[in-house]
Amino acid sequence: MKFSYFHLMPWTDVTEAGQDWPVPNFQFDPKKGTELYRTYIDSMAYAEECGFDWVGCNEHHFSPYGLMSNPNLIAASLIQKTKRIKIAVLGCLVPLLNPIRVAEEFAMLDVISGGRLIAGFMRGIPHEYVAYNVPPSESFGRMLEASELIRKAWSQPQPFGWEGKYYQFRAVSIWPRPVQQPGPRVLMSGSTPESARFAAQNHAKLGIVRLTDLESVRDCIKEYKAAAEEAGWTPEPDDILIGQYTSIAETEAEAKKNLEGGIDYFLNVLNGGIRTAAQLVLQKTRYYTKPTAIERTAQRVAVLKGMSIEERVDKGLVLCGTPDQVVKQIKNLHRELGMGVINVVMKVGNVPNDAIHRGMTLFKNHVVEHVRDL
Amino acid sequence: MEFEEREVRLPRGKLRYHQGGRGAPLLYFHSAGGFRASAALKTLMETRTVYMPIVPGFDGTELADGIKSCADLAELFAAFVDSVIKDPCDVMGHSFGGRIAIWFAARYPEKVRLLVLEAPSGFRPAGSPPPRRDQAAMFAHPENLPASEKSAEATAQNRKMAERYHQASDMDEELVGQLGKIKAVTLILHGTKDGMIPEASANFIKSRIPISHLVFVYDAAHAIEVDQPALFASLTGDFLTRGQGFLVNPGSDKMEAMPA
Repeated sequence: MKFSYFHLMPWTDVTEAGQDWPVPNFQFDPKKGTELYRTYIDSMAYAEECGFDWVGCNEHHFSPYGLMSNPNLIAASLIQKTKRIKIAVLGCLVPLLNPIRVAEEFAMLDVISGGRLIAGFMRGIPHEYVAYNVPPSESFGRMLEASELIRKAWSQPQPFGWEGKYYQFRAVSIWPRPVQQPGPRVLMSGSTPESARFAAQNHAKLGIVRLTDLESVRDCIKEYKAAAEEAGWTPEPDDILIGQYTSIAETEAEAKKNLEGGIDYFLNVLNGGIRTAAQLVLQKTRYYTKPTAIERTAQRVAVLKGMSIEERVDKGLVLCGTPDQVVKQIKNLHRELGMGVINVVMKVGNVPNDAIHRGMTLFKNHVVEHVRDL
Repeated sequence: MEFEEREVRLPRGKLRYHQGGRGAPLLYFHSAGGFRASAALKTLMETRTVYMPIVPGFDGTELADGIKSCADLAELFAAFVDSVIKDPCDVMGHSFGGRIAIWFAARYPEKVRLLVLEAPSGFRPAGSPPPRRDQAAMFAHPENLPASEKSAEATAQNRKMAERYHQASDMDEELVGQLGKIKAVTLILHGTKDGMIPEASANFIKSRIPISHLVFVYDAAHAIEVDQPALFASLTGDFLTRGQGFLVNPGSDKMEAMPA
């Protein structure tokens, strides 16, 4: 089993729940921000010492939900502070960006890190489309085209042009080319059977990080494997990453208390503004091509909001407790899903940073050795 | 804009051809499927006069004495240019027509202004996947085929005829030898869903033609002009108008308005 230490880099000094969109940035204190970035980057670099295999970051815009408007900047910083850990950018919001710029930055990261990059291609969550003024209804089409273009930019031995529906470039020849050829391994989100199928068709790793029940996760994994077989390849366990909010402490009570507070802050404060924008996008545009996807999203939010920590643990949706308990939970989850990578999110909402550091140390000393060989 | 079918008497016999449009001449060599008035070509015809000679033996025409290879066809079409177009012109060829265009541009560089090769056949580097024979290999959007498309039998007959003019091998070494002789600035087009010609072929050609540009056309199979008529017409139209200048996004600038 491999473990990814994933960070959203939230701003945790927002006090009001139910924010509107966009969240006013006067609440951000730049001086405090400098210290916070240092703390977060140090925490992510510490993941290598704690036995994590990947360290992950991602992209979000215009809200305290996450302070990584460009995750590649964080990745570049992490490369300098680490030696062996995979740098997982999970990921760049491909439909919002210039795909050639994405290809170039990922290639740079891959070369600077000596081939340690895992390149996430993500659509993002709906509010990002408001932030970057990209029509949400073009999201999937842009994702399809940009994914192909980025890979072409990585692998083409000759300069080339691209004439597409959304992107036109007359001459492309990126410098540097990535170390990994024909390109860094790509990871795509697969939280629905449709997106899982798309990931397999693109020979990408599968990432499922928003879990409401394991049954639907199993369906996505099944769809992913079937589509991969149809496309002529067989996924390895390492190709499947499952997200887990994680809280490890000396006592079960402390672990639960930390996670409970963090989830409450995440759902009610950090998600406030972006939920407003997301509702606008989902109601007023064709971000999802199928109406059932809108219902599914609403149901997922409702289900998660009403769920206690105990229920989440029982359903396999979080890892929470003492090291021994977490070892058992990881073993159960592996038995249920057969994945090869767990995306560990310890900084959930406003969980205190010192509690996270202690949790990481417990993971290093008392967890990883018992589950490494799964 | 419609094509008009015509006939010309050349030193080696009669040749039928289609002509349509207005503006600078564009000599177009059809694919192994034969004549097709695609929507893309009709768009180009708004600013170009398109000349499409029918390869002898295709579309019910008679074979021509002594014309047995693509090199012979190049010679025949050189006589066509001298007799009908008279001046150097832009040249375009699709698939089998791309082979002819390569021979023509290599043998008669003085007759060629700019060259467009749409998925030319004849180059299949070792290790490339074999050509697929399903419809999706040829068309990503068969719904775009013109209503006048000929029958499957007629197309198959044309394809068989194409084999008469070239050796059946993955790599046509004679043809490879012509690439370096091409003097015209060349645009090579390859569909991202082409199931007949491998991507490696496009890269190979690009590496051998001295001044050339390769452009991938997204969501197009082998018949790019059928699958993506608007993209094809705007891209090739821009290239034929501005030559290598097509690399630069002109924005709203007009060349005439720029200082000399």
